[in-house]
This record gives sequence, C-alpha cells and structure tokens, in this order.
Amino acid sequence: MNPDDIKYHRDHSWVRVEGKKATIGITDYAQQQLGDIVYVDLPEVETEADADSELSEIESTKATSPILSPVSGVVGEVNEDLADSPEIINEDPYGNGWLMVLDMSDPSELNDLMSKSEYEAYLKEVEEK
Amino acid sequence: MAAKLTIIGSGPGGYVAAIRAAQQGTQVTIIEDDEVGGTCLNRGCIPTKTLIASAEALESTRRAADFGIEIPGEVGYNHAKILDRKNKVVETQVKGIRSLFRSWDIRLIEGRGVLHSAEAVRIVQKDGTTLDVKSDRVIIATGSRPARLPLFPFDGETVITSNEAVQLTSIPKSICIVGAGVIGCEFAFIYRTLGSDVTMVEMLPRVLSTEDEEMSGLIAREMKKAKIKIHAGVKIEAVEKTSDGIVRSRLSDGKEVSSEMVLVSIGRAMNTEEIGLEGAGVKKGKRGEIAVNEKMETSVPGIYAIGDVTGTVMLAHVASHQGLVAVENALGGDAAMDYAVIPSGIFTMPEVGSVGLREHEAVEKGIAVNVGRFPFRGLAKAHAMGSITGMAKVISDHTTDKVLGVHICGPHATDLVHEGALAISTGTTARELGRMIHAHPTLAEAVMEAAEDTHGMAIYVPRPSS
Ligand SMILES: Cc1cc2nc3c(=O)[nH]c(=O)nc-3n(C[C@H](O)[C@H](O)[C@H](O)COP(=O)(O)OP(=O)(O)OC[C@H]3O[C@@H](n4cnc5c(N)ncnc54)[C@H](O)[C@@H]3O)c2cc1C
Repeated sequence: MNPDDIKYHRDHSWVRVEGKKATIGITDYAQQQLGDIVYVDLPEVETEADADSELSEIESTKATSPILSPVSGVVGEVNEDLADSPEIINEDPYGNGWLMVLDMSDPSELNDLMSKSEYEAYLKEVEEK
Repeated sequence: MAAKLTIIGSGPGGYVAAIRAAQQGTQVTIIEDDEVGGTCLNRGCIPTKTLIASAEALESTRRAADFGIEIPGEVGYNHAKILDRKNKVVETQVKGIRSLFRSWDIRLIEGRGVLHSAEAVRIVQKDGTTLDVKSDRVIIATGSRPARLPLFPFDGETVITSNEAVQLTSIPKSICIVGAGVIGCEFAFIYRTLGSDVTMVEMLPRVLSTEDEEMSGLIAREMKKAKIKIHAGVKIEAVEKTSDGIVRSRLSDGKEVSSEMVLVSIGRAMNTEEIGLEGAGVKKGKRGEIAVNEKMETSVPGIYAIGDVTGTVMLAHVASHQGLVAVENALGGDAAMDYAVIPSGIFTMPEVGSVGLREHEAVEKGIAVNVGRFPFRGLAKAHAMGSITGMAKVISDHTTDKVLGVHICGPHATDLVHEGALAISTGTTARELGRMIHAHPTLAEAVMEAAEDTHGMAIYVPRPSS
C-alpha cells in the first residue's frame, strides 16, 4: 500500500520529488491514526518552510495535529480541493489527498528521509512501543 | 433614603436601576428618547442573537444529512421572515420591560432628558412640550452609539453601522466588515451563513484582540473554514462609492476590497452631548466618558452615571450591575462596583465565553500560572451533538492553584463560562474545580478536564509522548 517512489518523514508525512518540486502529503498510517479528517489548514502560497517546521495543521474528529515539513522550501501550490473535501486525504493519502507542492531549497535534505522499507520498519517499532 | 429618583435612558443600565429602586419603595421616573430597552434590546444584544439563531438553524439544517435527516430539495431561507422573527422577539422583550415598569409604578416619560441639577431634569417630550421633573437623585444612563469616522461615507445603505445591520431587508452579495471586534465578528458569521461573501479588515494583528490569543486563533480558523477573508494588521485608507454600486475600500498594505456593502464596527461613541452635563457641572474623563468612581457617583453629589456612557466595560450586564450599585448608593447604602469577575460572551459560530485572566495578560503581568486545555473533540457529548470544534482553557495561579481565568471556544461556550466565573469569584482552586463531579455526558466536562489538565491529569488525553 505504501508506494516506493516517495520518501517518508518520521512524523508521517511523505515527499514525491520531480526535479526541485516536492509534493507533500501524509501517510496512510497518519490518516488512519487521525481518523476522519474534517479540515486542513493549508499555508498560503509563497510561505517559506524549514524542514521539520510546522507546515499545516490537520483537524480530525479525534485530534488537531501539526504536519511537519519533510524538507525546506517555498510553498508553490496547495491542494484547493481539500477546502471542501478534506476527506480525500482519508480516501487517497498518496494520490488526490496530497497537501501541497514545495519548491525545495535544499534537495540534500532528502537523504535524511526514509525509504518505504525503512518507514515500514520504523512503523513496526512505533507500534510495538 | 431618596424618595424620588429620575433616570435618563432605559437601556439595560437604566431599566434595571429603575426596577430595583421601585422595589425598594422609591418613586421612579425614567426618561426615554427612543425605544425602551436601549441599544441592547433594540439594536444590539437581542437582535443580533436572534439573527444568529436563524443563521444557526440554517447551518444545522444544511448539515442535516450528517445526522441522518433527509430533507428533500434545497435548504433555503426567507430573509423577510428572519427579520420578522427578530422584530417579534425584540417587541416582546420591549413590551415585557414596559409592563414591568407598569407593575412597579415606574413613570415612563418619552422624550429627551436634559440635566439641570441633581434635583431637576427637563424633558422635551415627543410633542415638543417641555416638562420638568424634580427628584432627589438622578442616574444618567444614556448609553452609546456606533462610532463614526469621516473616512467612511455613511449613507445607511451601502456604508452602514450596526444600527442598520440589524435591519437589513436583504443580504448583500458581498460585504466588507471594518473592525473585527465582537460586533464585527458576530455579523461576519451571520452574513456568511446567509450567503454573503465576507471580508474583514482589522487594524490590530488579530481578530477579537481583547480575547485570549488561543480563542482568537480558534475563531480565525473557523473564519477560514467558513471562507471569511481576514486582513489583519492593516488600516482602511479610503472608502469610495462607485457609480456601479460597488464600494471600494483601499487598505494600508496596498490591497483593495470591493464589496456591495461596508459595515463599520470600529467602536462606540458615548452619548454625552446635549444632556446638560456642563451646566450641571458633571465632569468628563479623558475619553469623553462621564467620569465615575466605584460607587457610580459623578463629580456632582446626587448625580450617578452607569452603563456605556461611563466608558468602563461596554456590556449590557455590566450596565445593569452598575445600575444596582448606583441605586443602592442613591438610597443611602454603600455599594462598590467590582470589575474583577465579568463573564463575557461572543456569539460567533462557535461561541466564545471568557472570564478573568487571559494567558498573555499573565505573561505581561509576570504572574506564574498553570494552563490546562481540553478540546471539545475529546468529549463524547460533543461528538453526539456534532459540534467538536474548540476547547476549554483554565488558567490557575501556579502557587495557590486558584482559578484566575477560564476561556472557552465551542458549543454553548457563553453558558459554560459561568462555572469559571463562580470558581474565580469564590477563590476555588483548579484542583477543586476538576474534582467536582460533572454530569456525563455534558459539555461541562470540558471545563472539568481543562481544570484537571492544569496538573496534567485530564482523563481523556493520551499520555504525553516522552
Ligand atoms: C450590535 C451590538 C451587539 C451587542 N451585543 C451584546 C451582547 O451580546 N452582550 C452584551 O452584554 N452587550 C452587547 N452589546 C452592548 C450592549 O448593547 C450595551 O453595553 C448596553 O446596551 C449598554 O446599556 P446602557 O443602558 O448603558 O445604554 P443603552 O443600551 O445604549 O441605552 C441608552 C438609552 O438611553 C437613551 N437616551 C440617550 N440619551 C437620552 C436622553 N437625553 N434622554 C432620554 N433618553 C436618552 C437611548 O435612546 C437609549 O435607549 C451589543 C451592542 C451592539 C451595538
């Protein structure tokens, strides 16, 4: 279920890279943990974000959780469809449920992220704790 | 003990004072230039709350499907009927006050009162005749009106104040609300729910700037969800009516807002003009308010002032309480006004209720506090009701554990906050508040949990990750 063409952040966000553009979303695990998502507070285009800083906040019926940016960059585009249908994230976290696209300022940060197999091993650890 | 009392103005300050004095055997004359009940009943609290009730009914009907209710066809509203309902509610309340006056033998004179001295008030009646009323004591309760700046080309139709906003016969396609204080924010949610495209402009950096920052943040978030646009930290530089019926507002950051209507809610001006203050020697304060002490006495013995005209805390219940204090003193007692515990309600969607210390005030004043929070989404009752937005927040003294502030944003917040007011006024500790049994399942559990959370002991909160 977790794709292998993306990189994973330990705080359960993901990045799909095309050139300098990084599409960002939350993982299936995050979506399951949150439960029904009711709102996503997306930043404005041109907002600057540092890796590991708060990019967005997601409200679900269970909790309000910050989404940490997996890489540094400038917000180039946000997923406008989420304003009226935040549940897309629950339905398709790796596809139509993307959050935003960042123009990366330091692609070398991608090396700090996990591959699919590393992330899945990490999830096991998290679950066993 | 004063045998005769004259009160100028019959808002929540004046009418409460009149009834309390009459209950104690005083002969009361109350003078009203407009309609009994003042701003609160006719143009303020009650009309807005009635409009909000319609907006909320519309909103829950729109969400009916979430509750398994099927409504065939599209949900709509009839604005004329919403207005009718509002007018009926207001009328019933006004009649109620008038009949209370009759039952207590309070003499209501309709006309404009001008102070001559502590013993005499001259009234220009509706038919132009004058009448002098002699009494032992006078209470000034003339209230306030919307503040107007020359910057805004008011015409009562496209550029309006809250006075017209409660009377609109149709809802504008778009409206720019200047001033994101209590009044502006309440109207923003009303118009937005009724379908207007709403833009707010606020000079200060945040909406509801007098509230706890977290509560402002929650409301700003709800505005964003409702697609109410906010321009904060900017001023209006020019407002221009164009021939195509659109009003253009130019902002200090260079942006421009075009709207069908502009509602200016930037504060209140006190009604101190032409009421004879100078002649009687009643002194005004720096902001033009009638200066009073904590006994509600003005600079002239025998003349008291209460309510918005004193420029203290412009709330109906404060005006009423000041009325009680003034009457007690006018009748020979010794009462003082205490502003320490004043609950306040903001009827946004959802509501905000607050009392006591805000967290940023604790920081400014260097008070060491514990802060507890509890989100409504942690409560089963909130889920059952389908209203999970918001939180309760309890601020307590780090050393004594006494509750110093309670702030709630969420369903029924304006009612729930009174538990906080009682806690603060009785010196209750956060531990006591949290350990008091609260019925399950209720929204009040949020207050209990927030109180427990000041010690990290809320039950419905997962263990913090280490
Ligand atoms: C849109 C809006 C919403 C509000 N919502 C709330 C709310 O939800 N809760 C809350 O607590 N407060 C609310 N307020 C504030 C509240 O209305 C006021 O704090 C309250 O009305 C003040 O009462 P008052 O008796 O001092 O004056 P007023 O209510 O202003 O009454 C003064 C009266 O005096 C009369 N008068 C003035 N001069 C003379 C004269 N010379 N002779 C005879 N009569 C005279 C006026 O006609 C008026 O009727 C709201 C205000 C507005 C505008």
